[in-house]
Amino acid sequence: MTTAVDDDLWSAIGDPTRRRLLDLLLAGGPGTATTLSHHLPVTRQAVAKHLGVLDRVGLVRAAPTGREKRYQVDDTQLERAVTQLAAVGAEWDARLRRIKRIAETIQTERNNNA
Amino acid sequence: MEIGSIEREIYIEASPTVVFEVVSDPRHVSRWWPDEARYEPVPGSTGEISFGGDKVEAFTVLEVRPPRTFTFRWTQPPGEPATAENSLLVTFELVPSGDGTLLKLTETGYRDEEARRDHVNGWDYFLPRVAPYVATLTVRP
Repeated sequence: MTTAVDDDLWSAIGDPTRRRLLDLLLAGGPGTATTLSHHLPVTRQAVAKHLGVLDRVGLVRAAPTGREKRYQVDDTQLERAVTQLAAVGAEWDARLRRIKRIAETIQTERNNNA
Repeated sequence: MEIGSIEREIYIEASPTVVFEVVSDPRHVSRWWPDEARYEPVPGSTGEISFGGDKVEAFTVLEVRPPRTFTFRWTQPPGEPATAENSLLVTFELVPSGDGTLLKLTETGYRDEEARRDHVNGWDYFLPRVAPYVATLTVRP
């Protein structure tokens, strides 16, 4: 696992249009730039470009069908991305619990001294 | 949950003034996060937070609006200005709620898996220290 690859991974899913594309592929199954562009306020060319970015980081896989590539979500890579995010969330959960404990202790002390 | 950012909120039975001190004042921050926090809680102040003596992260304060908003960037390379490309952005928003405060946390900008992994490992080191407190919180009625 290299830093560069994951840097690209986070950049890839940092874009709202690409997240929407992932949503569409997850909900509707495999699609092409043409079929996906029908659900988005951007051109087929723009969708093709975004799919290319997702393909390069492994979040989607392409299979040639006739004139256009058909894309589908790579479950393993998506799960990996989500797992990374969940781990970061767990860290903040723990920090917030400590913030709560400290602030409530201070408040109680001030109330008692008032 | 939006991919690419962390959003959390927690209700705290303390006034926004108290909660703001805890999330922004380096003397308090070092009690819930790093071992040492060295920065001034004023916009533009750059300092560092350190873990276990040898691990140090850069820390730059962006916004200080007591008792409502505190934002900072961290994990940028030492000596470099913090930007959207090289650091994580953390926002604390405080909303008065009843006799207490709703604390909202957002962290965005996960671009570097190696750095993130280090943070996880660091947190694993601290978790055992807070376990007794966490247990207390869960059994509280």
